[in-house]
Amino acid sequence: MRLRAAIYPAVGCLLLLGAWEVAGRRGVLGNTFPALSQVLAVYADGPRRALLGRSLAATLASAGTGFAAGVCFGCLVAMFSHLVPLLRGGLDRMAVLVNALPVIALGPVLIITAGREDTPAALASVPVFFLLYTATGVGLRGTSQRLEMVFTTLGASRWQRLAKFEALAALPSVLSGMKIAASSAMIGAVVGEWFGAPSGLGVVVLNSMQNFQIPLLWATVLVIALITLSGYGLLSLAERAARRKLGECAA
Amino acid sequence: MAALALVGVTRSFLRRSAAGRRESFTALGPLDLQIGDGEFVALIGASGCGKSTVLRLLAGLDEPTTGQVQINGQPPRNLQAQQALGIAFQEHALLPWRSVAGNLRLPFEVAGRAATDERIGELIALAGLKGFEHARPAELSGGMRQRVAIARALALQPKLLLLDEPFGALDAVTRRRMNFELERIWLESRPTTLLVTHSVEEAVLLADRILVLTQRPGRVRTDVRVPFARPRAAALMRSAEFHRLVDELTANLESG
Repeated sequence: MRLRAAIYPAVGCLLLLGAWEVAGRRGVLGNTFPALSQVLAVYADGPRRALLGRSLAATLASAGTGFAAGVCFGCLVAMFSHLVPLLRGGLDRMAVLVNALPVIALGPVLIITAGREDTPAALASVPVFFLLYTATGVGLRGTSQRLEMVFTTLGASRWQRLAKFEALAALPSVLSGMKIAASSAMIGAVVGEWFGAPSGLGVVVLNSMQNFQIPLLWATVLVIALITLSGYGLLSLAERAARRKLGECAA
Repeated sequence: MAALALVGVTRSFLRRSAAGRRESFTALGPLDLQIGDGEFVALIGASGCGKSTVLRLLAGLDEPTTGQVQINGQPPRNLQAQQALGIAFQEHALLPWRSVAGNLRLPFEVAGRAATDERIGELIALAGLKGFEHARPAELSGGMRQRVAIARALALQPKLLLLDEPFGALDAVTRRRMNFELERIWLESRPTTLLVTHSVEEAVLLADRILVLTQRPGRVRTDVRVPFARPRAAALMRSAEFHRLVDELTANLESG
């Protein structure tokens, strides 16, 4: 059964990739739609591979920095609002406001405040912050009512309750937020690079589009997609492991 | 002197009426009851009569709408702060990532008291779980988990032990065995205890006194003393007196 469950998606993928190759070779979708083999050839080409490698490192650094900052900040603010219920209403509205700002509109503002170099990381951190603020809050509030009552009758302080129970119980929810935030960080970083970063995959996308280097453009987009997918996959595994380990009280 | 007193206690909730308006309805009371020091009292009544509300009021998890709840002359919240309350629920409510020993250590950590290995060992022996110190709750049977939850409730030698249907989720055979286990555990320290239960037999087997609550709003309809000596053996359950008392209380419960 497991084997069959794995075969169907694999066959589906191969068919899709085959269709891509054929469509590209025939040119049925125009000359901006290259065959898969042409795209893959970019990775075999020394100079272009080096360019992609350098750019990937730059983008991963910005996305990673933004991701880490957004995760830390989102979790901390959510815990703070959980400990000080008085502030929760205000912090919730602030987070929604931050999320309502389109990344594209925020770019130019960041360019003049944070500078070209740091804009990708800053733009990556914004959606990550919102997602983690929300996911952590949901996790902290969705804990077992009975365990909450046990802690109350034991005379536990807010802080003890958070440290010994809620923070751990919220971990799967936090990881679930991180899973979704991983792709948001990548989008933020790439878009941030369009505003004039010195290097990065976003810069390559823009340049290859303007210079009509179609296979390079596709190859870059494919790298971005693969990074996003593997981030999602790794964090899904972490989430599943945490749910298993932390058991049923982590809702 | 009564260790525990409810004086003219009522608890009302808001609900939406058929016409869609919000209205107040009284779920409990007015209720007056007193429990003596070291007494084991069982509270029985139909579903929705407010049994669990009484327990929540005594635990300081809820506030009465009118009237007063006092434990040794103090409000329940003070007992929380003194770590003098022990509570166990129908569902075990253990921390799933902690071992049996880790869960038993929790009350000591929260209270800022030292949990000696000796004391934890005593509690594990009390729960009859020697050899399972390092097991996680998920690796234990339902009965074992409930014993851990009860041992945790007793860890700090509370003045008041509150049990909300602690064996409600267990099968009949395990439940019977757990009743005798609970009596054995209880006899070691004899804290003042309130047991909320659906089972008349369980109440008669365990309690010194049984209170039957009326249908909503819950009031004390009957207050019966259980005359059997402790420890109570399985043979008691086959005696005529036991069955007479169970039948009498069951009839009382069913009369509305």
